[in-house]
Amino acid sequence: MRLLIIEDEEIIRESLAARLRAAGFGVETAKDGEEGLYFAREYPVDLAVIDLGLPRLSGLDIIRSLREEGYAYPILILTARDRWQDKVDGLGAGADDYVAKPFHVEEIIARVNALLRRAGGWASSELTAGPISLDTAGQELKVGGRPVELTGHEYKLLEHLMLRAGQVVSKTELTERLYDQDFERDSNVIEVFIGRLRRKLDPDNQLKPIETLRGRGYRFALAKAGGESSRAGE
Amino acid sequence: MSDHPTAPPPAQSLRLRVLVWGTLLLLVFFGVIVAVLDSAFRSAALEAERDLLDSRMIMLLAAAEAGPGHDLVLPVDLPEPLFGTPGSGLYGAIVRRDGSVVWRSDSTIGVAIPWGVMPATGERSFRRIGLDDGTPLLALSMGIDWEFADGRVRSYIVHVATSLDSLNAQIASFRRQLLVWFGIVAALLLASLALLLRWLLRPLARIETEILEIEGGERAALSAGYPTELAGVARNLNQLIDIERARTERHRRTLQDLAHSLKTPLAAMRALLDGDGDRRDMEGQVSRMEEIVRYQLAKPLANVGATLGAEPVPVEPELRRLADGLHKVYRDRDIQCEVHVEPGLRFLGDRGDLLEIAGNLMENAHKWARRRVRVTAAGAADVPTPRRGLLLTVEDDGPGIPEGGETGLLERGRRLDETKPGQGIGLSVVVELAGAYRGTVELGRSPLGGAAATVRLPPG
Repeated sequence: MRLLIIEDEEIIRESLAARLRAAGFGVETAKDGEEGLYFAREYPVDLAVIDLGLPRLSGLDIIRSLREEGYAYPILILTARDRWQDKVDGLGAGADDYVAKPFHVEEIIARVNALLRRAGGWASSELTAGPISLDTAGQELKVGGRPVELTGHEYKLLEHLMLRAGQVVSKTELTERLYDQDFERDSNVIEVFIGRLRRKLDPDNQLKPIETLRGRGYRFALAKAGGESSRAGE
Repeated sequence: MSDHPTAPPPAQSLRLRVLVWGTLLLLVFFGVIVAVLDSAFRSAALEAERDLLDSRMIMLLAAAEAGPGHDLVLPVDLPEPLFGTPGSGLYGAIVRRDGSVVWRSDSTIGVAIPWGVMPATGERSFRRIGLDDGTPLLALSMGIDWEFADGRVRSYIVHVATSLDSLNAQIASFRRQLLVWFGIVAALLLASLALLLRWLLRPLARIETEILEIEGGERAALSAGYPTELAGVARNLNQLIDIERARTERHRRTLQDLAHSLKTPLAAMRALLDGDGDRRDMEGQVSRMEEIVRYQLAKPLANVGATLGAEPVPVEPELRRLADGLHKVYRDRDIQCEVHVEPGLRFLGDRGDLLEIAGNLMENAHKWARRRVRVTAAGAADVPTPRRGLLLTVEDDGPGIPEGGETGLLERGRRLDETKPGQGIGLSVVVELAGAYRGTVELGRSPLGGAAATVRLPPG
């Protein structure tokens, strides 16, 4: 998943970017409003984290422009002034959630995950499809109620495919997801990982959870079980 | 207060406006009256002069008698001595129809009177004529037929004229008196108007003096006993002063609180640094400082001064904006948020404060709710909107507040349950803001099953 962080405060921007990269996201950063809007339009972005008080172009203006131009990816706003006026303005302009400064990075990661999950149509942090159940909070996989061990790469790959369940995900996108910005990797590696995942998810080769679409990519094919809210709270 | 950078030039003084208007009104009013009186007096005087002239002509005719040769003669001593006094201003003459003079009064000696007209028998002619030297005369001429004892009849014209000099003098004198008296009356009126103004404006001068005294610290508030029309202004000013004073006090207290409350974690951090402390302990102190800053920041923003002169904020759109925003944030949880607002309800205060109070309560409700959140807003008192205050209730169907936990939650900055981060701050901010509006916050149980938070802000 590719994130865009638009934040003028360098320390916050870089430490947030580092922590999100460590959490497995591809991260682009912009240091002011104009640059941010440019990146937000030009780069493939799955979610944007936007500070409201930016030089050159305010966060609210960026959000309004993006929404007007039809960009629908989730937007998380950072507000320096912990006032509802700012939050309501941001949400009204088209943001999806807010975090007030100062924040814990864990809080941001949790909100980002929740927003991405929601954008993928999942209602809970436990992505369940058929017998497959991926707990994105604990990063654990269960198949038919039985825990299955995954490597870090395998987990990222499965999470990405499940978050995009029903959609075709290209090899390039998966490579980017796995290796952050290093596009030069051999895409055969992806095939190897997919093969391993298939064996772990579906040892008997009956479920066929991951489809291969030749020349286009892969698709997680099982129907989501989390369409309706399954629990009362978080 | 006194240093407005670009103060507009002061508007014309109220006193000047009233006096200018009063003077103009008096001038117009008296002008019309003087003109009317003058013209009435003039025509009455002229009328009297005509009557006098008429009676003198009759006197002349009565004095005339038939003389020798079928002609008229008048006695030397007429009952009106003015006819006999040269230059008296009263003239008389009787002429025959052919223009030849039968008789002329002694007063016409040395004066050529241009009688002019010769009216037909039985006709009278009143007119103004002028002597060569410009003296204006009022003249009356009448044609008569005189029947002599033997039955012969001859036609004559009788002329009488009187100088208008005395009439004009009378009129001029009347006009002078009129102007003098009206001038005196107008001056008295304007003077009393000025006195009235002084009297009327005295309370304003008193307000000014008292405000100066307040600025100088010699006085705490404007005194009572202002006239009804100014009592409201005085009350609002006192309110403004109170609010301003409270705000200053709050800012001072906030700064002190902030400094004091930051000193403890700072001291702890220094100790941790010196003793090569645990990173987790350090983290705890940083979090504590964050909370302190966040809580203290919310306080001075409480903008209660807005109850004066602020535009009332329609409540419903703001609550709906909050509900829409929160619906987005808590979309996963599928929470139904109902908003019931009394139609047309407006909040007399700062929009940001309203959002802060409602936003914190509604966010808490969304955090705890299972399925439902209900927001109800109405006026707090039964008086015309917008000075009705606000009664805001936010309920949820969550687990509710444990028995006895209410008071703890309402204490400043106290947290009941650390698992919902920020809740302590949110409620503390609401309590602080409600207090700034002299309002109250109550926590209780909702018929929905969970907690109910009620904020009551009294009418401003």
